[in-house]
Amino acid sequence: MTTLLKETLQHSSIYIPTIARITAVRDLTELEKLFTLELPHHYSLSHRPGQFVEVSLMGVGEAPISITSSPSRTNSVFELCIRRVGNLTNALHQLQPGQFVGIRGPFGHGFPFERFRGKDLLFVPGGLGLAPLRSLINEVLDDRGKYGRITILYGARSPQDLLFRDELAEWQARADVDLHVTVDRPDDTWGGNIGVITTLFKNLHLHARNTVAVVVGPPVMYRFVLMELLGKGISEGNIWFSFERRMKCGVGKCGHCQLQHIYTCQDGPSFSYADIKHLEEAL
Amino acid sequence: MGFKIMPKSALVDWVNHLRAGYRVVGPQPRHGQYVFAEINDPADLALDYPTSVLPPKQYLLPPREVLFNFQNSGMRIEANIKVEPTVILGVHTCDMHAIRLLDHVHNNGYADQHYQTHRANTYLVSIECLKPCMEHSFCKSMGTLTVPEEFDLHLTDLGTAYTVDIGSEKGEKLLEGFDQVWEASDDDYQLLSRVLTEKWPRFSYRLDFDVTELPDILNLSQKSGYWNELGDRCLACGMCTKVCPTCYCFDVSDNVDLTLKNGQRVRTWDSCQVEEFALVAGGHNFRSKRALRQRHRFLRKGKYQYEAFGMVGCVGCGRCAQACLVHITPVETFNELYRRSQRTEPAEVKA
Amino acid sequence: MAKPKIAFFEFTSCEGCQLTVVDSLQDHPELLDAVDIVQFREAMSEKGEDYQIAFIEGSCSRPGDEAKLMEIREKADLVIALGACAHLGGVNAIRNRMPLEDVRKYVYGDKAEWYATYPARPISAVIPIDAVIPGCPIDRNEFIRAVTYLLQGRLPYIPDNPVCIDCKLKGNVCVYQRGMTCLGPITLAGCDAICPTYGEGCDGCRGLISAPNIPALRTVLAEHGMNETDIEAKMTVFLTYQRMELEAAGHDS
Repeated sequence: MTTLLKETLQHSSIYIPTIARITAVRDLTELEKLFTLELPHHYSLSHRPGQFVEVSLMGVGEAPISITSSPSRTNSVFELCIRRVGNLTNALHQLQPGQFVGIRGPFGHGFPFERFRGKDLLFVPGGLGLAPLRSLINEVLDDRGKYGRITILYGARSPQDLLFRDELAEWQARADVDLHVTVDRPDDTWGGNIGVITTLFKNLHLHARNTVAVVVGPPVMYRFVLMELLGKGISEGNIWFSFERRMKCGVGKCGHCQLQHIYTCQDGPSFSYADIKHLEEAL
Repeated sequence: MGFKIMPKSALVDWVNHLRAGYRVVGPQPRHGQYVFAEINDPADLALDYPTSVLPPKQYLLPPREVLFNFQNSGMRIEANIKVEPTVILGVHTCDMHAIRLLDHVHNNGYADQHYQTHRANTYLVSIECLKPCMEHSFCKSMGTLTVPEEFDLHLTDLGTAYTVDIGSEKGEKLLEGFDQVWEASDDDYQLLSRVLTEKWPRFSYRLDFDVTELPDILNLSQKSGYWNELGDRCLACGMCTKVCPTCYCFDVSDNVDLTLKNGQRVRTWDSCQVEEFALVAGGHNFRSKRALRQRHRFLRKGKYQYEAFGMVGCVGCGRCAQACLVHITPVETFNELYRRSQRTEPAEVKA
Repeated sequence: MAKPKIAFFEFTSCEGCQLTVVDSLQDHPELLDAVDIVQFREAMSEKGEDYQIAFIEGSCSRPGDEAKLMEIREKADLVIALGACAHLGGVNAIRNRMPLEDVRKYVYGDKAEWYATYPARPISAVIPIDAVIPGCPIDRNEFIRAVTYLLQGRLPYIPDNPVCIDCKLKGNVCVYQRGMTCLGPITLAGCDAICPTYGEGCDGCRGLISAPNIPALRTVLAEHGMNETDIEAKMTVFLTYQRMELEAAGHDS
């Protein structure tokens, strides 16, 4: 058994992917599909929650996609939640089980979840941000005893945009998980919270000194959620983000993901607020 | 290692000698400027050139480079790593410092085998700069007026002959089988010493502060209104980054034939100055304004790369200033930011 | 997968872009294996009316052109503007800043009233289009690349770079430093900087980049010896329609 990264490093070029087979494709919403991928025999992904892989389709291109399955449930098989937003993701959405894609990685640093043990955890996914956070959430839930209270605040545009509805239902049903969901634009069937994600903070009671918050969502969401978290008294080092940048190479070379002196693909995409608060352009 | 002496009259023979075993490139005149290009006729070589349009990085990081070829929709993939032993003649010391930085970037973290292969098969023959090459260069201020140890051979013009410093075994190979080089005499040592001593005062310090202060000055300038002034002037044409010897950012795209099954993945020099560079899939652009992109460029050269690699990213070659149609220059930018930082927060700059 | 049926149409143009398509077949005869050309007046006499992809060359410069354009839009799944006339109104749009009557008299003399004509517009001003292959004429390699994109089920995409990027990738000496002037800094790249490479300044045939700094370029042109009239003339050849749109939106042009 070797890891995909070791395999990638042994290629004659760091830019050559390893071929992985699609074993299942599931529609999550109109825009998002969940792909289950299988690495060649003997390879394991060995990722950390929050890491990403470069996914490629020969002739179309390559893009960074966060890994949505958790290491606790992943070996040679892993999952990617892919939103259809551009040429590559459009083409990926056409693929069927049995077809192949190229994978490099996993790259970047994931969330340092070992440091979260013993703490209360507040997960704040917005929109597609649930995809990378699901990796961490399931990792934590599979080792539930090591963590304190778990709260999840999830915001989506509309009820149709909610990802992983079956898992949301499972988390909702668990006594040891406190899940709150809100949508910006409700439909007739929606009986839950309405409003942007920050509205969920109003009735939230935290043990601020012992809480780690992990926030993943679109860039516009971060500043607003940050204000709420700081307002609740959570320390800057205990507020974690995952940054979206255009990581074209994944290996700290192409420059597209530069955040000042930092290559997000290498030093991130997970950062604590304490790490990046002084960096212009970060939030 | 000591140095050898090659009479200038032997240069043509030496270039021809090299061409038998290597691709030989060097500065040649073109439309009133100079470009690095393959030397087909040694008479075209202009070792006393002022500067070149593109730096010699084009041989280490080609402007367009096929990373790999694929067949049958990717079921077969072959890296494109071509070995083409290349001698680059006449590399200025600023460009040698730039290659140091490129070496650092591509050898560390995840090594880039394409760069490494080009680099391992590149023989660097640098040349001592004896007078300022053009109005925009400021190598003395940036500490790049002396050659770093990366050279294979290093030439110094003594008038009728070149001294040839041998910096590596690769350099020795370039002299193998060529008999028009001599051991240096005491007179040659004295002459070299005089040439080097005399050259130094010909160059002036162009920055109004010491380069070690540059990262701090830029740090204090992050919110300066000067970036907006630059943004108003900037054409966002990206030429400054293309001609920069330490810029290495690239874009990646696929070419595919009409069967859609066979093709190539290609990387192309990219520029942080163009509109789409920091755009992400969801549509957010992290540097949507020219002012922010200019700030990124200058801070990257003078601060970020220093923080990341311990080397300042600007080597003072002046190419970006020469290329810029709206006269944005690093000398003026750095000095103006220094002046403004002095005016507003003198205590912090000194700290 | 069935070969897509493609058709070519022309409006006000010189048909040079379609000639470039014919030309591209010399390098890429396999194009004929990949697509089924059902209508192409420049190269064949058959006229099929069943097509998925329509390539349209030429600007819309007569009221009578509109119905035909709408018919093509109706029939085709994808409509691609082929070349500067279809993309920008082309050189035909130079007249848009002049009194129409004068233009007609100048061109048609005493037969002026026989010809219905109005300001030239890109076809996107009449019908929605899906993509553009810019240039005067188009670049044949870009045409082939665009077809591969279409075969892949995606739309041709051109990076939003100015011509200077392509030009410096080739290591060219800037034409400004050779005593000429150039619209490269505000013009969309993708042409491999063919004009500067052969010693001519760019005239902007591929249209503007998304955020051109036109006032700054005017300063540059003035510094290089052009007076207001010369600058205006240089920016008129291909950019009239786009610049008039910018003016209408209150932007610098």
